[in-house]
Amino acid sequence: MTQSAAKQTAPTSRGPSIHCIDLGLQLGGVEILRAINLKLEAGKIHCIIGPNGGGKTCFIRSLLGQMPHTGMVETISLQDDEPVIGYLPQLLDFDKTLPVTVSDFMAIVCNGLRPAFAGLGQQPRQLIAAALERVGFVANVNTRLGSLSGGERQRVLFAQALIPEPSLLVLDEPMNNMDQAGEKRYLELIKNLAADGVTILWIAHDLNQVRQYADTVTCINQTVVFHGSPAECLDQLNTGDLFHLATKRAITKDSDVTTTSGSTVGEST
Amino acid sequence: MNDLYEWIRVSLQSAAQDGALPLAFQYGFVINALLCAFLIGPLLGGVGTMVVTKRMAFFSQSIGNAAMTGVAIGVLLGESYTEPYVSMFGFCILFGLLLNFTKNRTQLSSDTLIGVFLSVSLAVGASLLLFVSARVNTHILEAVLFGSVLTVSDTDMNVLLAVSVLVLAMGIPLFNQMLLASLNPSLARVRGVKVDLMEYIFVFMITLLTVACLKIVGAVLVEALLLIPAAAARNVTSSMRGFVLLSMLFSTLSCIAGVLIPMQYDLPLPSGGAIIMVAACIFILTTLIRVTFARFREARA
Repeated sequence: MTQSAAKQTAPTSRGPSIHCIDLGLQLGGVEILRAINLKLEAGKIHCIIGPNGGGKTCFIRSLLGQMPHTGMVETISLQDDEPVIGYLPQLLDFDKTLPVTVSDFMAIVCNGLRPAFAGLGQQPRQLIAAALERVGFVANVNTRLGSLSGGERQRVLFAQALIPEPSLLVLDEPMNNMDQAGEKRYLELIKNLAADGVTILWIAHDLNQVRQYADTVTCINQTVVFHGSPAECLDQLNTGDLFHLATKRAITKDSDVTTTSGSTVGEST
Repeated sequence: MNDLYEWIRVSLQSAAQDGALPLAFQYGFVINALLCAFLIGPLLGGVGTMVVTKRMAFFSQSIGNAAMTGVAIGVLLGESYTEPYVSMFGFCILFGLLLNFTKNRTQLSSDTLIGVFLSVSLAVGASLLLFVSARVNTHILEAVLFGSVLTVSDTDMNVLLAVSVLVLAMGIPLFNQMLLASLNPSLARVRGVKVDLMEYIFVFMITLLTVACLKIVGAVLVEALLLIPAAAARNVTSSMRGFVLLSMLFSTLSCIAGVLIPMQYDLPLPSGGAIIMVAACIFILTTLIRVTFARFREARA
């Protein structure tokens, strides 16, 4: 039942493409991002990598319109309506002793105007059960969020990103705290969603996963260090000196790099 | 509305005279106090769960202190010193919104900032009020700090009723959004929640509630009644529903017991103090339950 529900709501190629034009961001006088020019195509898996503190999360939050950035971000959807964004935040920072169960959390996120303490409606209940099944959440929905393992909590977070069915999925390090079975399930799910035409932005750490699944990879350290297909970008580097090199290149010839990255977009399509 | 209160009072009083109810019910002010208890009990209990979840505990205390300044301003402006609602609401709402406005624009963590506001409002409020009360009535400060259930008037009840309706109208439909806005602002924004607006609405709600309950519980103790029932409920529940319902129940029980027990046994206690002491007993009980029963035990951090 749950799978058929998922299929019904999945038309093809509905994700938006995203264009960044000269995107920059300053917070508290510190330059976090600068001169980012990118074209991210619709319905593809775009991985974002880069050193910690290099501005990946800020970049994504700028794309989502939550940062006072400069420059332009355009999301161009083939369909007329606004893209439905599913967002998996990096961490759910909350008091672990709070009496909030999995189903309470899903109610807070997805239940609209009906307060979480009044329980779930019939329709949300089915949607939520379906989403939890898709991410392979098997524990009891009446377990407190705080007593779940890291992997299970991550699954719950992923499940909320699937309600309502997104056309743009933004994943901020989805494999954090994830167990092996969960990673496999996630990768499968990401692949299927992309095949359904969902645009996926994925901040990733594991370069093997990037090689295997991404359509494009973008390394961000203040600005775009490189951008292109994983085969082109990753194979010439070995993972050990990737980020070291990334920092050096970003400082010395960033304008050069951004222009070449623009052309690699064209080639890889 | 006043006719309705009168009708309730008259019918309960006659019941008390017939011996169907305890003798305390023959006094109109006891019935007034109980009516208020039935309103503020569930309301403070319910909103208290949000305060605890959003970690806004000290915010309502600073509002309570600001109310002292509000009363003083009211008296200076010529409002009646027993019902200076215009000044209290006016000043407290300004104060609350200013606090939230400042919070969004400084690097200070919110507990530091609330601490600053709290001490300033206490200092200004106490000074002004002492200055004013020396000229009018020396018991104002006491009444504002600890509440005085004996003097609840029909106006007080009307204000409380209006505030209750407003708070319910804001709090129930926006419950999820307000919680999500503080659990994860970034996720809330993606889901179309106006995070800043939610914070302002929440602050507004707490301010209204605090001022309306001042007469019964007093400035110092309103915040205790927001926190203690919610904390007690949190001890013994693991779901949102249990949390909210139990907190409402504990809070209502405390209010009613806090009003009735001193009456029944002729104890010279301020109602506010008695209400909080009952709530504290419930809290201790639930803590004992939590410590004793294995199903509440969990791994230490």
